[in-house]
Amino acid sequence: MVLLVAGASLASVLSAGWSPVLGVQLQGGVEVVLRPAGEVSDEQFERAIEIIRNRVDAIGVAEPDITRQGDQVIIQLPGVKDKQRAVDLIGQTAELTFRPVVSIFDTNDPNQLAAVKQLVQGDAQVGASAEPDETAETNESESLPTLSEVLTPPDQDVASEQVVLLGAEGQTGFVLAPAALTGEVIEEAAATFQGQWIVNVSFNDEGAALFDQMAVANYQRQVAIVLDGVVESAPTINAMEFGGQAVISGSFDEEEAKNLALVLRFGALPVEFERDDVRTVSATLGEGTLRAGVIAGLVGLALVGLYMLLYYRLLGLVAVCSLAVSGATLWSIIAWLGESQGLALTLAGATGIIVSIGVQVDSNIVYYERIKEEVRRGRAVKSAADGSFRAAFSTIIWADLASLIGAGVLYQLTTGTVRGFALYLGITTLIDLVVSFFFMRPLVVLVARRLVNEKPKRLGLTVTPGETSI
Amino acid sequence: MSFSIRRLYRGDTSWDFLGVSKRVLTGSIVAVLICVAALFVQGLNLGIEFEGGGVWEAPASEGITTDDIRESAARIGMSDARVQKITGGDDIFRVRGELPSGETAESIGAELAAAAQVDSEAVSARTVSPSFGDEVAGKARRALVVFFILIALYLTLRFEWKMALGALVAVAHDIALTVGIYALFQFEISPATVVAFLTIMGYSLYDTIVVFDRVKDNERSLSLKTRMTYSDLANVSLNQVIMRSVNTTITSVLPVLSLLVVGSLIMGATTLQEFAIALLIGLLVGSYSSVFVAMPLVSALKRREPHWAEQDRSAELLSESNSIENAATALAADRYDRSSPPRPRKKGRKR
Repeated sequence: MVLLVAGASLASVLSAGWSPVLGVQLQGGVEVVLRPAGEVSDEQFERAIEIIRNRVDAIGVAEPDITRQGDQVIIQLPGVKDKQRAVDLIGQTAELTFRPVVSIFDTNDPNQLAAVKQLVQGDAQVGASAEPDETAETNESESLPTLSEVLTPPDQDVASEQVVLLGAEGQTGFVLAPAALTGEVIEEAAATFQGQWIVNVSFNDEGAALFDQMAVANYQRQVAIVLDGVVESAPTINAMEFGGQAVISGSFDEEEAKNLALVLRFGALPVEFERDDVRTVSATLGEGTLRAGVIAGLVGLALVGLYMLLYYRLLGLVAVCSLAVSGATLWSIIAWLGESQGLALTLAGATGIIVSIGVQVDSNIVYYERIKEEVRRGRAVKSAADGSFRAAFSTIIWADLASLIGAGVLYQLTTGTVRGFALYLGITTLIDLVVSFFFMRPLVVLVARRLVNEKPKRLGLTVTPGETSI
Repeated sequence: MSFSIRRLYRGDTSWDFLGVSKRVLTGSIVAVLICVAALFVQGLNLGIEFEGGGVWEAPASEGITTDDIRESAARIGMSDARVQKITGGDDIFRVRGELPSGETAESIGAELAAAAQVDSEAVSARTVSPSFGDEVAGKARRALVVFFILIALYLTLRFEWKMALGALVAVAHDIALTVGIYALFQFEISPATVVAFLTIMGYSLYDTIVVFDRVKDNERSLSLKTRMTYSDLANVSLNQVIMRSVNTTITSVLPVLSLLVVGSLIMGATTLQEFAIALLIGLLVGSYSSVFVAMPLVSALKRREPHWAEQDRSAELLSESNSIENAATALAADRYDRSSPPRPRKKGRKR
């Protein structure tokens, strides 16, 4: 039965093309541990993590893992190419800017994309800002540009330049003029309900002047609030003089209004982070560690298998099969965790698994030694195999329970490396219990009944004193 | 006490574990004292995670020496840096030191890449703020305390408090010895090592539980019917599980040894070494302490109980020789005297 389940899960995992996601130390990449510099609220913390996640997504890392563990954020970017930039991007508190909107376009319309491309290039050549010309459909013979050709790459997103950016939903594109002011001038921003959700913003003196200046220049036009290269909101300016107080209204729901207020208040990252631990691992070093770990694991496994075969003969074969079944199950679980939870197999986890080989085999040994003992006392092999399991399995359960308590405590109370280790320790212990009960026992009983009968030597058992069997 | 591999293999031993345990315990206490002394005199060689600073690793190319790297490190203000060449597999240079002000991990990485004549992408770097280590250590300590309390509760419920005490003393003994060996040989302590320590506790407990489980089992089936003393009971139980202990230790040590020898020494993956050393020491010490520390302690505690004290006295009066073997025979007879006739004993073979 377990064989079927293990086989089926392995087959489905393989056919789905899933394979374990490898951690930073095993394939190279970047690992950063951040901690807020001062006291922060939960709300700010969550918001900060969300922003970091957006930034990481923007770099295009295959399997990013960003988790909050206590008061730390652990960011793992296995396999990331440009490590330097990734490290820079993660922790910095980027600027919030207000940029007048030059034009708005639909990202799904190729004709509009072509127009934007021309507009931006024309600007670059002539060096003058032009009114949006949405009807420009010249040069249709040219191949139409893709969205990524039109957008401003993140490293060219400079406050003093015209840029092309996306809205928060990604459907709408914006051509934006150079920034009129930055988020530093905002003193306070809060979401309130006055018949509808609005956001009140107040500026410092410098900001009040700059904002009015911008309002005059862009009266009855939209101004975009840009954060980390994304247009968060683009309200229309409905007055020319604000006196340091602005109200942003629109069809916000409560959450949107509060998020916008947070963005305005804290700029990019609502929290200033300290870098507790920054680790970059080159791809070659990561691969070397992986290779060494795999080979060491296989050699260890082979030695254990050999020892068990020599010592327990047929029963040793059962132990080897149990290990194989456990291994297949474990592989499926790791692959599944990587695929669905984005959880990478870390070096600590891998070591935990290699180490757990011993624990797995121990369950077999506890059982076999019981059988041997009963046989030595004159019991028939068949009935010994049946009868010993209860006592042996009880020992296995109590001992495994201690392991599980340890794994649980470690998982709850620690972070990073230790936590990863605890997770795999817990998983392998559970697998051990299941495999012992559903696989090892039936197979041993089967072997005892069918193959051994009254030739216990095949099990590495000796009955008559004086007989040598080593 | 007879010694025979063949009998060990058959599980037919009758060694007096508790008899020798006094001498062995003395050895243990001396070893622990030496370890504690080493800990105070030499202290631990704490890794970067606990002390803060930076570590850079660059592949070593032909003709570049550690001195070359040291020179260029000194040029950028890292004259205190520790520079090592790690051999085995692909050789690498490892530089560890404080980050000079005005430099970043990347700028130093680039500098070292230039000195080692490799591409700067090939350099691995790690920087850690000094406060981080305190936190890691603090969390590990807290986890340790909670773990101890929970395990003590668990063992008390499952067995009894005397056994819980014995198990925890054995674990403390293992940790003291392992940490002491780290202090003695100045192996570097990293979070990986902490993980290994925690695993050791798991192993040691696991081992101890297997022994206790058997003692409890025997206590139920034997104690009322025979004149066994608690020491005999413990001895019989230990003899019953000794082969399992030996085999489990061997099969646990093999993968770890392979990690240490194949992974880290031959293939040069030093990160694997951090785990492997602590695990290897811990595994060996752990299985030893289950038999020679946990059990004798429990036995000493139990013998004060009225029932067992009584048994001790009557055993003294009878001054039975070979009480262990008698007990073992009693155990075998107790269970199977109906299903199989007692085996005839060959005289002279047992001594």
